[in-house]
Formats: sequence, C-alpha cells, structure tokens
Amino acid sequence: MSVQLLIGTDKGAFLCRSDGARRNWKIEGPYYKGWKVTAAERSADGGWLLGTASHVYGAAIHAGRDVTNLRQVGGTPRYAESLKRPLTEVWRIVAAKDGACYAGVMEAGLFRSTDGGESWAPVDGLNEHPSRGKWQPGNGGLCAHSILTDPKNSRRIWCGISAVGVWRSDDGGDRWQACNSGVPHALEDKDFPEIGFCVHALQSDPAAPERIWRQDHLGMFRSTDAGASWERIESGLPSRFGFPLARSRSDGALYAVPLESDEYRFPKDGRLSVYRSRNDGQSWEAADRGLPRDCYASVLRGAMDTDGMNPCGVYFGTTAGDVFVSTDGGDSWAALPVRLPRVMCVRAVAV
Amino acid sequence: MARVEVQLPSVFTPIVAGRLAFALEAESLRAAWQALRRERPEVGLHLFDENGELRRHVLCFHNDRNSRWLQGGDAPLRDGDTLLFMQAVSGG
Repeated sequence: MSVQLLIGTDKGAFLCRSDGARRNWKIEGPYYKGWKVTAAERSADGGWLLGTASHVYGAAIHAGRDVTNLRQVGGTPRYAESLKRPLTEVWRIVAAKDGACYAGVMEAGLFRSTDGGESWAPVDGLNEHPSRGKWQPGNGGLCAHSILTDPKNSRRIWCGISAVGVWRSDDGGDRWQACNSGVPHALEDKDFPEIGFCVHALQSDPAAPERIWRQDHLGMFRSTDAGASWERIESGLPSRFGFPLARSRSDGALYAVPLESDEYRFPKDGRLSVYRSRNDGQSWEAADRGLPRDCYASVLRGAMDTDGMNPCGVYFGTTAGDVFVSTDGGDSWAALPVRLPRVMCVRAVAV
Repeated sequence: MARVEVQLPSVFTPIVAGRLAFALEAESLRAAWQALRRERPEVGLHLFDENGELRRHVLCFHNDRNSRWLQGGDAPLRDGDTLLFMQAVSGG
C-alpha cells in the first residue's frame, strides 16, 4: 500500500509519495510548470485527470496514466463559439462510478465526458438554465465548483455554483431543480428566488447519497433528503464561514476549516484550525494539534482531501503554500518539509 | 502559400511535448492564426479567446513586429518568416 498526494498550485503540480505508514514523503515536481493546476481526479481505472489554467493562456484538461506526464485532451471543455462565453478555469473534476466524468468550470457550467476525459460536452440543461442570465459571480468568480454523483443512480447529479446555489438533476442532466430550502439567501433575485445561494463545498455519503453536507457562505448545513431541505449543524464551530469540507471514506468523519467571517477570511485569532465531526455534523471539535499559531493563510475549497485509509489520512494545503498531513484522523498534524506556491487543490489516493 | 515557423513560449512544453517550434503554411497573418486554430487546436485554444481573437495578454510578433501594430491581419507572409507568440508584460 502506498499513498499519492497530488498538490495543485498556482504555478504547477507537485506529487508527494509515501508508503502505507505515511511518515516519510518524497516530494516531486513542479509538473506543468507555470500553469495553475486547479483540479485533480483519479478515475476508477487508475487514470488521472488534471485541470490546468493560466490567466494568460486559458484552461484545459490533461489526462493519462502517469500524473507527471499527462496529455492535454483533444476535446477539452469549451462553450459553443456562438455563446461567446469564456471558460477560464476548471474548478472541479469528478469521476462517477458509472465511468462518466464531470467538470465544473468558470464561467459557471458543467461538462460531461463519457470517454475517460478525452472529450467533454456541455450539460446544457444546467448551463443554459432559464435563470442563467441572473447568475451573479461570487468573490471567486462565477464558478461551478462542487459536484456530487449517486453511485446507485447514475442519472442523479448535484452541482454547486457560487452565489447561485445547489442544483440537482434526476434525469442525467436534462432538467435541474434548485436545492436550497432551509439555507438563507446570500443575494436574492426578485425574478428567480431559487438562486442567490452561496454554496462553498459539498460532501455526501456514497453509501447513502441522500445524506449531504454543505459548507455555505452563511453556515454549515446537512440534508438527509438529497438536498430537498437543509438544517444547520454548527454546534462547536467557532465560525460559520469557511471553504473546504472533506469526509473520511473510512469512518465518515467530516473536516472543515472555519475562517473569521467573509469580510476577513483569516483563521480566527490567527490560529489555523481544522474542525472535525464524528457524528455526521451534529457537533464539531477542534482537531488542531500540531497546526501553527500566528497563521493568516487560508485553505481553498479544493485544497483538502482524505485518503480512504484507516486510520484516515487527512491532507490540506494553504494559500501560503504549506501542506499539512494527519495520519490519525486529525488527532495530530505535521507539515510537509516544503513551501509551495498557493495551493489550489489536493487529491489523496491510496494505491 | 508561405512556409513560416511558429515559436511558442516554454510554458507550452507540456502541451506540445517540448516541440515549441513548428512549421505552418499560410498566406497572411490572419490566415496563419486561422490555420493554428484549425490545425493545432491544442495550441490555438491557449492563444485565441472565445471570439477567435488573440487573448488579451498574448502577443504575436511577425518577425520583429508586434502584430497589434500591423494593419489588421492582412500582412502577407513570406517563406522563412517567424511568428513568435509570447506573454505580454501586461499579463503580469
């Protein structure tokens, strides 16, 4: 057993490898030097998919077996020329159990691949939704950043779009319904009250996909009915605001990184802290032993992941380029001996 | 039809497997850009935006002249000309 940690930064990707003990890490890179590596996913057959971008040269997806030497795919996501709509970054790539892959992009939209990532088609039922003209960007832009799939029902998909909300399709992407009941508006639109919700991150339980957790701009929420309704789950959290939300694939523990308000976005009191819930979000506890004091860096929504091992490995990178590792489910943390560019995404894979 | 050499910045290395210079045949600057989008789409998508225009922070030098100073894209090409693409200082 070994663990691979793919770390995407705003100037390239780094690959960290360790054996199953996860004590010693070999750090390699940068790969895709000069490109932002904004999303990473590993498909069920062992292939890698990376989203890359440059504010000068635009976005693309790379795919292949060797994550250090992937090939830019021929049919990288793009909107139809007639739309004149830019596609500036790929924020999330998700490989579904049925073999399909989904990419959430900025400007917001969802794309699907049925050939392992080689070509991508827009999911127009969402991308051209009647409310689209009213979609407003959040602070990070108008981006589709969270994608959930249902291992038991390949026609059911969720997509979270910043400052718009969570959408669900039950028919493979043709029709979408807003899933925000119980969550307050961040920016209400009079014509389309079903939008204006600022989801930051989503996680679900693969064994019971109707159970979903949501880090929102305005709090932490849980749904037990596939997103039809939401309840607050903030007991023990020092702040409602934050970005990443990770879930252990081995024991279901949840991990969040609360920040001090949307206005400041620092770790509260300069103390970088992970908060963990072992009871599906009912209550949260600090899990910060080994994390630094006097830290004013934050953690982006894609920059935290778990490795599926037991005890669970938890990994995250900061906007200051530090990478922290816990191999005991968050009880204690250690920094990798490296300082990278701003960390944009982290993907952990036990091989 | 002129045979020109296209030169890309080194950041394109992972996209073109290190082959940063290659030949292209076209009669004019604009025809060369169209040929790039058509024949080398993996490169073209990074040089041209959703409107088919050079991306905002991308420069194209025809020999030693910035294409933005030339009249439209009608500048004729000759055998041996170079088209050098690079990031503008305005790109940071």
